[in-house]
Amino acid sequence: MNYAINTLTRSLNVFHLAGSACNNCDIEILDALTPKYDLERFGVTLVGSIRHADVLLLSGVFNRKSAVRMKEVLAQAPKPYLVIAIGGCPATGLMFKDSYNCDGPPSEYIAIDAFIPGCPPKPEAMISGLVKIIEALRSGALVPGCMARPEQEASYVCQ
Amino acid sequence: MSANDTLNRVLGALGDHVLKMEHPSERRVYLEIAPETVYEASSVMFREICARLMIATGIDTPGGIEVLYHWALDGDDCVVTVRTLVSREKPVLESIAKLCPAAEWIEREIWELLGVEFEGHPDLRHLLLDDNWPTGDYPLRRSHG
Repeated sequence: MNYAINTLTRSLNVFHLAGSACNNCDIEILDALTPKYDLERFGVTLVGSIRHADVLLLSGVFNRKSAVRMKEVLAQAPKPYLVIAIGGCPATGLMFKDSYNCDGPPSEYIAIDAFIPGCPPKPEAMISGLVKIIEALRSGALVPGCMARPEQEASYVCQ
Repeated sequence: MSANDTLNRVLGALGDHVLKMEHPSERRVYLEIAPETVYEASSVMFREICARLMIATGIDTPGGIEVLYHWALDGDDCVVTVRTLVSREKPVLESIAKLCPAAEWIEREIWELLGVEFEGHPDLRHLLLDDNWPTGDYPLRRSHG
């Protein structure tokens, strides 16, 4: 296992970016981290800046205005990093996909490494998703998008 | 103060500005005014009646674009909505943001989503939509595709 993958399968620093989500996913994320489900005991902690993060956690459909900000945040992420989409919104756009203020779900314009579907997903689903992501990284079945598609990186930098 | 006293106080202060009145329940009053008198009427509501601007709303109706200012009279448990209708071709209203700063953001929103021009607004730029949104395309108008 190379150094980059090794670091991504240990304690993960997570930066949570909510793109005008309805807040249900955000509540479930906190539920997964706080004492009842306690992902923190595995070293999964929230951090206040993308520059300290290993994982960018997206929730919600990003509108035309916030999508620009999201790409700017992504451009500042230290590599290697993972992008994980929580809930149905960042995957498909759900009911917002044809909205005048939505340019499609984030899955259409950024590289997302893993989707944890549900509206909202339960904390158990997030824990299960995380275990699967770590297993896939260790076995080589999943290569982080930032390493697999470096040319896409350049497109994140906004003018 | 009874609901009738409240209503009389508001009607007395607004005087001739009121073109039409609807009073569907004790605590809800709708007053229609002409678009030219929006600032004066708002000034009366804000300064004399000491009402609180809860929110303004806009809607594209078959007769034109309607803008509604919802004023709360907290002490009297009453909401007075002052409404006005502007034409779809030339929707211009005087901004009340300089009188009542709470109106600043909602006027920006009504401007970008319904295309009502607020004259004298201190900072009329996009709020919810992207800065590159095409001018003349108003998503909450009925004609929007």
